[in-house]
Amino acid sequence: MIRLRLPALGRRSLVGRLVLLAAGWSVIVLIVTGVALTAFFQQAALRRFDRGLVDVSQDLNAGMSVEDGKVVAPPLTDSQALRVYSGRYWQLAEHAPGGKIRPLDGNRSRSLFDMDLKMPDEVVAEVAANPGQQVFYHSTGPLDQPLRASAMQVTLSQRAEPVIIMVAEDRSPVDREARRFALLTAGALIALGVGILSAVFLQVRIGLQPLFRLRREVAEVRQGKAERIVGEYPSELEPLAVELNALVAHNQDVVERQRTHVGNLAHALKTPLSVMLTEAQQQPGQLADVVSRQAEAMRGHVEHHLRRARAAARSQTHGERTPVEPVIDELAVTLERIFQDKGVEIDWRCPEDLCFRGEKQDLMEIAGNVIENAGKWCRSRVRVTASPSGPETLALVVEDDGPGLPADRREDALKRGARLDETAPGSGLGLAIVDELARAYGGALALGDSSMGGLRVEIGLPRAET
Amino acid sequence: MRILLVEDDPDLSRQLKLALADAGYAVDHAADGEEAHYLGEAEPYDAVILDLGLPKIDGVSVLERWRRENIATPVLILTARDNWSQKVAGFDAGADDYLTKPFHTEELLARLRALLRRSAGHATPNLSCGGLRLDPRSARASVNGEPLRLTSLEYRLLHYMIMHQGRVISRTELVEHLYDQDFDRDSNTIEVFIGRVRKKIGPDRIETVRGLGYRLTPLEGEATE
Repeated sequence: MIRLRLPALGRRSLVGRLVLLAAGWSVIVLIVTGVALTAFFQQAALRRFDRGLVDVSQDLNAGMSVEDGKVVAPPLTDSQALRVYSGRYWQLAEHAPGGKIRPLDGNRSRSLFDMDLKMPDEVVAEVAANPGQQVFYHSTGPLDQPLRASAMQVTLSQRAEPVIIMVAEDRSPVDREARRFALLTAGALIALGVGILSAVFLQVRIGLQPLFRLRREVAEVRQGKAERIVGEYPSELEPLAVELNALVAHNQDVVERQRTHVGNLAHALKTPLSVMLTEAQQQPGQLADVVSRQAEAMRGHVEHHLRRARAAARSQTHGERTPVEPVIDELAVTLERIFQDKGVEIDWRCPEDLCFRGEKQDLMEIAGNVIENAGKWCRSRVRVTASPSGPETLALVVEDDGPGLPADRREDALKRGARLDETAPGSGLGLAIVDELARAYGGALALGDSSMGGLRVEIGLPRAET
Repeated sequence: MRILLVEDDPDLSRQLKLALADAGYAVDHAADGEEAHYLGEAEPYDAVILDLGLPKIDGVSVLERWRRENIATPVLILTARDNWSQKVAGFDAGADDYLTKPFHTEELLARLRALLRRSAGHATPNLSCGGLRLDPRSARASVNGEPLRLTSLEYRLLHYMIMHQGRVISRTELVEHLYDQDFDRDSNTIEVFIGRVRKKIGPDRIETVRGLGYRLTPLEGEATE
């Protein structure tokens, strides 16, 4: 198979490719059409012109007589032939030795004055070879007029030598007409070409519209704005969309599997770590100290990387939406239970129709960690407020009535593993992981003072349309 | 005090049995979900330490079965999974506390002590209004046997209303009993809470008396005990 290689077009746009191909083809067709039309017109015009010459020639032939061995032409009434150099001429001639011709004296139109009509040698030969036939040729006449001429050899009964009737006429009107026709044709064809090209361009742009739409959809999937490609596509693109969806699904699958693997590994390590910690505690000694310390370090790593793995998978989320109210409700109930010895009261407000754009698990991690942190530090009250904060954002505000956090230490609170107070239970990772998660969703976390006396944590998150 | 320890890792089980015995508890051990479910049903334990990743039946299912069978033994869940969604699922199934692995034995013992102390409170009679039932001891509520998920403010509101069932209670009265301080005493606070509680217990149990307040009544055809 021969592959048509178009290196110059190889990397240019599809639109360019299609338009250029169509343009090349159209230009060729239009040029051929133009040339053919012009040639055809010219020939038709000449044929019409020639008929006039033939008429004069026939008149001469019919009216010619021989008197005293001399040929006498009939009187022709064509006034043009009387005016000198008018452009219409006739002349009678006979063959001369050497393939030339010799005019018969007195037998020429007045318009020729005393000039002779010319005839090239090869035309003379042709005329001699075809007696009784009109032979047409181009020539130049007096004043260098371009002439269309016809010649015919006839034999008169009273004369042995054949006579050649030559008729000629200025052909510049035909030439002019042909030129005008050519110009007009060219103009029309150029206009047609431009029209065709614009039509092709439009057709290609509109025809390829689904392709551009597909590109936009793929971009949205990558940005996490859509879960999969949902648009309807023409039969040529449909398989591509299906394949892309399969690829996205496969990708999600792989990520999900990795996440599960990491999770399983980390969780599997936790029971042995518990055993080691307990064992080391029960049999004090130098070895126990080392085991304890190392087991604690391992626990820290496991937890950190587990959370990292979860956070890393976040950017892959595909257009899910989670109603916020039930999540906060569930968390409030659970956390009040967790802190029931302390008697923490969680007062929350959230519009029923508020939706978070992302996974439920992630919202749970974000809100759960912040509220847990507030629960640890509060005296007895935690206030949670979720509300829309912009056309595409929502704000989750968690406040407590605890001691709060001085402004200069707030930055430390977001650093991994920073423990601001060793006496408060928990690893201190809470806010740092929340910050990380919120960032993965393009959100942010801000710390401030609450009117309740304690810390105020505000988290900006993407909101889904309701 | 008799404790049921449900844990499938032999080393961890041995250690915990030792530690619990040292702390003066009588310990029974189950290594899978089936055995745990049977023991919890058959024996009157004071508390259960329940691992979630169990062979045969997983821990959450065991817990749910117990609660369905009205076995109210306090349960401390022990698990490696520390997602919030998993914690919520654990508490929803009826857990009383939650401890993630790895942990220090001291912390487990402290949590266990707190759990036992809470459950040892004097038995108070359950409050009820038709199918709605409140257990003041555990601060839990149920409708027709289905446990409700209530925050402490919602529980307090319901508690006050059930104590004064049949009577019209004004918003001011409710807000005063909901908050001890002057926080959040805006007018629609109570509406928000009434709306939320109605969603959880069913829309018809709390009646709005226009201009006066709210009234909690049993549904028609329900008998008040």
